[in-house]
Amino acid sequence: MKIEEKDVEYVAKLAMLEVPDAEKKQLAEQLSRIVEYVDHLNKLDVSGVEPTAQVVTNVKHAIREDRVEERTGSGEAGRRVGLFKVPKVITER
Amino acid sequence: MNLSGVTAEKLVSLYKNKELTVTEVIRGLYETIEQTDRDVRAFITLCRDAAMEQASAVDAKIAAGEPTGSLAGVPVAIKDNMAMQGVATTCGSRILEGYKPPYTATAVERLRQADAVIIGKTNLDEFAMGSSTENSGYFLTRNPCDLERVPGGSSGGSAASVASGTSLAALGSDTGGSIRQPAAFCGVVGIKPTYGRVSRYGLVAFASSLDQIGCLSKTVRDSAQVLQVISGFDPYDSTSADVGPADFVQSLDAGIRGTRIGVPKEYFVSGLDSEVKSRIEAGIRLFESLGCRMEEISLPHTEYATATYYLIATAEASSNLARYDGVRYGRRQEGQTDLKDMYRQTRMAGFGAEVKRRILLGTYALSAGYYDAYYLKAQKVRTLLLRDFQNAFERVDAVLTPTSPTVAFKIGEKTADPLSMYLSDIFTITCNLAGLPGISVPCGRNSEGLPVGLQLIGNHFEEGMLLRLANHFEKAGGFQGANEK
Repeated sequence: MKIEEKDVEYVAKLAMLEVPDAEKKQLAEQLSRIVEYVDHLNKLDVSGVEPTAQVVTNVKHAIREDRVEERTGSGEAGRRVGLFKVPKVITER
Repeated sequence: MNLSGVTAEKLVSLYKNKELTVTEVIRGLYETIEQTDRDVRAFITLCRDAAMEQASAVDAKIAAGEPTGSLAGVPVAIKDNMAMQGVATTCGSRILEGYKPPYTATAVERLRQADAVIIGKTNLDEFAMGSSTENSGYFLTRNPCDLERVPGGSSGGSAASVASGTSLAALGSDTGGSIRQPAAFCGVVGIKPTYGRVSRYGLVAFASSLDQIGCLSKTVRDSAQVLQVISGFDPYDSTSADVGPADFVQSLDAGIRGTRIGVPKEYFVSGLDSEVKSRIEAGIRLFESLGCRMEEISLPHTEYATATYYLIATAEASSNLARYDGVRYGRRQEGQTDLKDMYRQTRMAGFGAEVKRRILLGTYALSAGYYDAYYLKAQKVRTLLLRDFQNAFERVDAVLTPTSPTVAFKIGEKTADPLSMYLSDIFTITCNLAGLPGISVPCGRNSEGLPVGLQLIGNHFEEGMLLRLANHFEKAGGFQGANEK
């Protein structure tokens, strides 16, 4: 499966990343090589095999009382008088 | 203060006999760091003031005859993807520049409660993504055995610190080999415990179904001691295993005669360096001479492990790293009038090339139309890889492999080709996919004097047996402290 520059643009948009035009070609080539490599999984027949999301053993559900604790955010970016300030969410376009 | 030839175990006894004070050792250690770490560059942040305070507190306890923890006065380094309250935690990324966590990771807290002295935070590949520590957003770390070579990664700073004597033990994290491979490259011991054995509360998430905290040290005994301290159930980690306290140190010297060790034929194929192969074969004969029963086994799906890993790890990473948006943590790219532009430009400026590549690959694997073909398929192959090990552990107690197909490679050798870098993890990633414990123990050196690591993999929660095997191996082979010049 070959990844084109337009695929890089599309995936970058989904991932909230900006990719400069100058880097698109190289990224498309690198990702194509990796995808080509992972494509060899297709040699395997996995019909009837259950997927494994996580190998967890001896886990008990950690449930605690719901109580108010100290604020845990600490990012200084945009932090003003106990709130996070961000640019406009709704813009005219 | 030169810590060469000194282990954590030895240092603790020197304090007890009042031959040294913690304060003089830690003060001297910072002087050593000023000299040697200019070349190696293992540390991103040093915690000198807090360390000196902790040192005098431990000295006071010893002087007063109060009981002290099992790591009293031992200098320990922490990989910089674990939170420490009020101490910069960068994860090797510019996007977390200036971020100081409001809480401390459980594993670090447990070290402190055992009276260890935290020296500083060590360098890593950005968000632990890499096998050489060249992907750090700050600077690269050099291998103390050969400064022209990489220390491995992603816990390269932790391994380099232990190997250069600027700490006696270090915490690392291992998602696909990030403790074991740098341990092998730098000639030290590194253990990645069973998934769930050590709390990950306070560990910055990379791939949540694979990440595990473990440790590195000069000797197997020191690793056993550190692991014993940091292990155990933690209600703050929903994947923490509810298993009783383990005494890894107590059982280190118990016999290993008759232990069945499997050697998977799929790990001795093309791509394995011939000198590494011959060192590992000598290691196999050493285990035989110790009375272990060696057996050839098959892990038939091994060739699919790397592809499976890079789909699952990147998919999880693309989701975990969505939180770095310039709002809650670290840096923000200012000057935007629109929220989404601010997100995009912050992420663009803050993430390095490898992190962006993995986010893109992971997003691709999860996107509509490709989810079944890539992500779901990889999860199914993961089941087959797990079954390979389940079948093997019906016949053998442990599995023996090389830790890495090569010795430490040269700086810059693999940076141009991401895929060749990914393939250097080929022997370590199956452990993570199957949630199993694995240890890398020094196994001699090649003709250029570069360390070779031997890996032992055990069934879930069999760290005690792995440490025991490694302890006997290290003593019989004379590998203890073999790194020291």
